[in-house]
Amino acid sequence: MEKVKCECGHVNPFGTYLCESCGKPLIEEDTPVANMRYEGVARRSQTYNRTIVDKIWNFFSSVKVGIWIIVLLLIASAIGTIFPQEMYIPPGERPTLFYEQEYGTLGKLYYQLGFHNLYSSWWYMLLIAALGISLVICSLDRVVPLYRALKTQKVTRHKAFLERQRLFGISEDTIDADKEIKIAEKMLKEKKYTIRKEKGNILAEKGRFSRWGPYVNHIGLIIFLIGAMLRFFPEMYLDEHIWVREGEEVVIKGTNGEYFLRNDQFIVELYDTDDERFRQAFERTGQQVVKTYQTSATLLRRTNTGAVGVGTELEEVKQYDIRVNDPLTFDSFALYQVDYKLNELAEFTFTLDAVNDTTTEDLSDVVFTVNLYDPEYVYEFDNGYRIEIMEYFPNFYIDNNNQPDTRNMIPDNPRIIFEVFTPDMDPDSDSGELSLIGVQVNEPLIGENDYRIRMIDVDMKHVTALTVRKDRTIPIISIGGVIFMIGLIQGSYWHHRRIWIQNRDGKIWIAGHANKNWHALKRDIDFVASKAAIPIPKDQLDEEQNSEGEEGGNNSDSTKQ
Amino acid sequence: MKQKRLIIRSSILLIMVIAIGYTLYNHLYNERGLVDRNDVAPNFKVEDLDGNIIELEELRGKGVYLNFWATYCVYCRQKMEVLRDNYEEYREQGIEIVSVNVNEQRLRIERHADRFNINYPLYLDQHNLVRDAYGVVSLPSTFLIDENGIVIERQIGGRTESQVLASLEKLIPNQ
Repeated sequence: MEKVKCECGHVNPFGTYLCESCGKPLIEEDTPVANMRYEGVARRSQTYNRTIVDKIWNFFSSVKVGIWIIVLLLIASAIGTIFPQEMYIPPGERPTLFYEQEYGTLGKLYYQLGFHNLYSSWWYMLLIAALGISLVICSLDRVVPLYRALKTQKVTRHKAFLERQRLFGISEDTIDADKEIKIAEKMLKEKKYTIRKEKGNILAEKGRFSRWGPYVNHIGLIIFLIGAMLRFFPEMYLDEHIWVREGEEVVIKGTNGEYFLRNDQFIVELYDTDDERFRQAFERTGQQVVKTYQTSATLLRRTNTGAVGVGTELEEVKQYDIRVNDPLTFDSFALYQVDYKLNELAEFTFTLDAVNDTTTEDLSDVVFTVNLYDPEYVYEFDNGYRIEIMEYFPNFYIDNNNQPDTRNMIPDNPRIIFEVFTPDMDPDSDSGELSLIGVQVNEPLIGENDYRIRMIDVDMKHVTALTVRKDRTIPIISIGGVIFMIGLIQGSYWHHRRIWIQNRDGKIWIAGHANKNWHALKRDIDFVASKAAIPIPKDQLDEEQNSEGEEGGNNSDSTKQ
Repeated sequence: MKQKRLIIRSSILLIMVIAIGYTLYNHLYNERGLVDRNDVAPNFKVEDLDGNIIELEELRGKGVYLNFWATYCVYCRQKMEVLRDNYEEYREQGIEIVSVNVNEQRLRIERHADRFNINYPLYLDQHNLVRDAYGVVSLPSTFLIDENGIVIERQIGGRTESQVLASLEKLIPNQ
């Protein structure tokens, strides 16, 4: 690729529309107004196309491609909201069946095409990645040449450059061009323009930094995306669940066994239904309204080092009342209130009754409490009675082989098989009466029993569920957001205005360019013209429109970039 | 100049591709467990039903079949029956079975041991500390730890008898 040398002496890269230095059009175009986008510099991407790397680069450098990626992302994201994502379908439902049952054929298709897990699917993530690449390459490809062009621009621009600016005018005859230009300079300074002078010609410029707005904005976006990406790196992001019963100590996931949490108390506080202030609200909802979910928790820390497991020593670090949106924080972790379970069975208290009143023995001392989280094997009493737990099923069910079993270790439906030994029996050789006891269940297992175990008390505990959250990407994402906004403001509330005034053979040539808000530029020129005898430039696009109707305006680049 | 352009473009593209590739890899192939193949097995101390304490480090020089289980887990039972039938034989060859229960009620573990005639020690994991350290989510989960304390395999889910035996064979030290 050849470099192009302009008649002013400046060497321009291949593909340059307007000489970077003097602005002379190097590639002829049919339009009366020069395309000032990116200052007419050569966008590298579109000029070199040799290696594979160049081809990939050029693909992502295209704004068209970038916009297509955004459109595809928008469509995909929208489709993802038609039916619920997998994580939001009711717990326990199988996605394979759920979508078809609930939404019919469309639902089935939705599932089969993988839209039920859209936002973490490989192709959606690849689209986001492509957007990131496009942002980086598009910006690099434009900001570097633009920066160079604006930095090397000469005060005295080529005649043809001036002629082909949208705002352009030549004075008909002037008394003293140099004097008028001096006045104009003063006026422009008053309007806070930066003035550069060369051989009596001036370039007045204002708000150049607004040209960097879009790129600053893109940098913000890229930082934002990097932040989002870092979530997938180890140690950056954690989102776990722990369930803690009242009184129980549980290791906090993700802390490598270093931190524990004890649930001292969990409460659900309701709004007072008798309070006159809430009467209307209650009439409307017709039900109780929760005021607070609160876990009074104690954070504990392991004090010994070495092997995990037996011998773990804990010390209390702090106590905190965790409420919704009011987490307990330590190190880089935060524990949020997220769910709860009220009244989980914790303890049963039993006594023993004789079925027939024939016995005269006093059984009132036979009272025992079974801890459902960790029951004792044997309960012995002073009067010689002995009760053993033969089997314990915390969450009882009958399995496929018709055998009693437990689903898990949570006492949601506890059943206990007790064996009762009277004082005259030998627990090693004799076998006692068997009873199966549970909630609203109390039956002898073999034949009739002489003794009946009766439940006299139940103790229940609340369980709290907390989310363990660690997110080190938040500062990065926030910084990205702030930079994004700065770029947006920079590019939206300021605009780049330039006015060239030249003395060519005693006539004043004036040309103006703004990247948007031409009206303000025209007013600035009017202001200068109120004192200085400079020509009022004509808007060449207006002229064109007048002569060609609506067709002519499509070269406007006033809002692009 | 052209050379320079190629280098700059290639390196920018390369950096982006590596970052994105790593992210996708982490996200989509997150099969790797907290503790997995070639990791040093985290040391732990557990107590069996009789109060005997064992520390993993003491088992250096032996192959360790570390199995996380629960009484309500059907696949665990099948596995444990295979282990029971072959325990003595492999023990003589320098293999220790460390069977860690996931913090169930002691009574249930004891009854389970009685019912299935488990002949090797069953360890309790109070607070699920060992489970947490090994990142165990589903049961049964098994870690094959060699005589140097390095995890040689992580197995999740049920295994047939021959698979369990093959795993035990792998653990025999100094083959």
